[in-house]
Amino acid sequence: MNTPSIVWQPDPARAAASQLARFQQFVEARHGLRFSTWAEFHRDSVVSFRRFWSDFLEWSAVRRAGSAEPVCEGDTIERARFFPALRLSYTGTVLDGGGQPDAAVAVVECHEAETPTAALQVREVTRGELRRDVARIAQALEAQGVGPGDRVVALAAHDADTIAVALAATGLGATWSSCGPELANEAVLARFGPLEPAAFVVTGQYRSGGVRHDLLARAREVAAALPTLRLTVVTGAAADAAVTRDAAQWPHHLVALPQLMAGTEAVTRDWTLLPFNQPLFLLFSSGTTGAPKAIVHGAGGTLLEHLKEHRLHGDLGPGDRLYYQTTCGWMMWHWTLSGLATGAAIVTYDGSVATPDASALWRLAARTGVTVLGASPAFWQYTRDSAVSPRTLGTAQLRALASTGSMLDDHWYDWARQEVGEIPLMSISGGTDIIGCFVLGNPTLPVYRGESQCVSLALDVRALADPAGGPDELVCGTPFPSRPLALLHDHDGSRFHEAYFAAHPGLWTHGDFIELTARGTARILGRADAVLKVKGVRIGPAEITGIARRLPEVRDAMAVEQRHADSPGGSRIVLLVVLQDGVALDRALVHRIKRAIRDGASADHVPAVVAAIPELPTTLNGKLSERAAREALAGQVPVNRAAIRNPEVLDLIRALPEASRDHPA
Amino acid sequence: MPNSDAELRRLIIDWLDDQYHFGDAEQLIRDDEQSFLETGVLTSLGFVQLVLFLEQRLAITLDRAALTRENFDGMGRVVRHLRAHLGPASA
Repeated sequence: MNTPSIVWQPDPARAAASQLARFQQFVEARHGLRFSTWAEFHRDSVVSFRRFWSDFLEWSAVRRAGSAEPVCEGDTIERARFFPALRLSYTGTVLDGGGQPDAAVAVVECHEAETPTAALQVREVTRGELRRDVARIAQALEAQGVGPGDRVVALAAHDADTIAVALAATGLGATWSSCGPELANEAVLARFGPLEPAAFVVTGQYRSGGVRHDLLARAREVAAALPTLRLTVVTGAAADAAVTRDAAQWPHHLVALPQLMAGTEAVTRDWTLLPFNQPLFLLFSSGTTGAPKAIVHGAGGTLLEHLKEHRLHGDLGPGDRLYYQTTCGWMMWHWTLSGLATGAAIVTYDGSVATPDASALWRLAARTGVTVLGASPAFWQYTRDSAVSPRTLGTAQLRALASTGSMLDDHWYDWARQEVGEIPLMSISGGTDIIGCFVLGNPTLPVYRGESQCVSLALDVRALADPAGGPDELVCGTPFPSRPLALLHDHDGSRFHEAYFAAHPGLWTHGDFIELTARGTARILGRADAVLKVKGVRIGPAEITGIARRLPEVRDAMAVEQRHADSPGGSRIVLLVVLQDGVALDRALVHRIKRAIRDGASADHVPAVVAAIPELPTTLNGKLSERAAREALAGQVPVNRAAIRNPEVLDLIRALPEASRDHPA
Repeated sequence: MPNSDAELRRLIIDWLDDQYHFGDAEQLIRDDEQSFLETGVLTSLGFVQLVLFLEQRLAITLDRAALTRENFDGMGRVVRHLRAHLGPASA
């Protein structure tokens, strides 16, 4: 393949002053080393990963106690434990922001305007205010019996209250898990049910698309189905009134955040240093089968990985304002939260990117001074299709774009350069499973059209060749701190092993296809497994097929991602259904299937196409083969066709008119 | 190719059903002048998708500068705007 063109070059002076360059100098001076290229430095970080993490811990000056030795117990990714004798505070480090003064802005909270012609609602929260709020909330939660080992769950909007409660809960040693309001109750309960949470946080109301939604009313059903809950805290505007309305019908103690904080003292807090491997976040990875799996991420691993990504790969720090288009159900919310630890401010937005019009988010970025803006290809596409030109909207302060959630096609690099500005477009990719990224930006390297700038420091990312001739698979060969501590309720580790290590023993198998270039750049080529990534949202096919199969007309179902240039983000979901004898797939049934999926999961889960086939493709071992179906939908002869029991079905799939790549979305 | 205003309406209703409302679009749109945005029929995000669909289905190009609420926020407005592009319906 020819070398793609360079679409952005770092300014040499800025590159030399970057935190990455400074950290490299720190490592060189500390160990008497000299790295003449990025490749050398990266290679050293992989080969000497223990030294890397020890150096990074020292350089990043995270407040800690105990011993930084051993850096890592064990040599296998599956069993390794980082810094078992070290203690730190995620909350304390995030609030401190590298010693930011109380007067510095920490959070710029934005809410969609009340009317199409009204201004965006913006509120700035300083470090001092956030520190005091978090301390007071923690004091109040503690008084309610919330402490280490408890789980606090949230159905919440992306705003400053949610951030404050999350930091308070994790500061106490509780584990935080959150879903965004876009998720239907059934899907929320599939996630929160197994967590046996002690406390529930709900944003009373949120706005989206010009409509005010009463989330508390809907959350009552969730609260009633979680018998371990002792407390529900209502946040956001009008929380007091909502509590007054609903307290009598609530199954346990319901309190508005201002009431909860009322009896506390306005003091800052010396955050307890907790074990490095203290459970911090529970995230959900929707697998190919069954309910979403709950992944337990540790405090130290999350903090170090995020600090590394933000400071070294993103050069984020004081003076920056980070905005990522996310809800608090996606790991980019946690990633954004950790951005505070660099000294940067973070910008939150509760509302639709399309309200009052397609320029809303760009105007928000201009108004709040966002310097690093992240979104998904679906959002770039929406901006382009709406003929919005961000560079005309006062976004000159932007210094970088980040894109994740879906493959980023080459042409988006041209679009960003023409319509946003001469700034790097960083294609970053990783996932919930590692609460971080395998490929990232780099302030010292150019951006090649269509490529991620580099592989993440200290991660031994490899492209494993497929003997059958398919694309290479992304695997990781050495331990890393943000590997999950475990899957919840997986007492013998067998599900953890099956999810990440069974395919290629000794290697972390991530489930993505990747191309690594000789220049050290990378391209993510889509999912290797059946997980769907559509419109920037990761979706487990089981969440779709499970609902479809409950309809009496549907005998079996398979959800597959199809690359589709006209769809938002460049791909769409195709649901293949096998119907009961005598049932025909008419529009009414398609609508019933889609409605059931929307109401049971979310609008993002709804397939663009529903198509009937006589049976689903299965391997000779009797396993469903989403991969074969995906390749057939792409018009290809599946790599594993010889291993398919019913290959004639693949020909039918390839010929489906409604699933043709030329068929409208 | 849809020709009459009624056919254009049907085309849009069917698209709304396939994309967002799954059989409920007809019920949601009570009259031609009802705002799509203010009554949850369509978001701004959906407007763009609708425009792309209409361009493809009707083989026309719509000026993005004309994609205003005046021209698109309601069934009657969309049909009138399309009619201006397509010319009078043929018999």
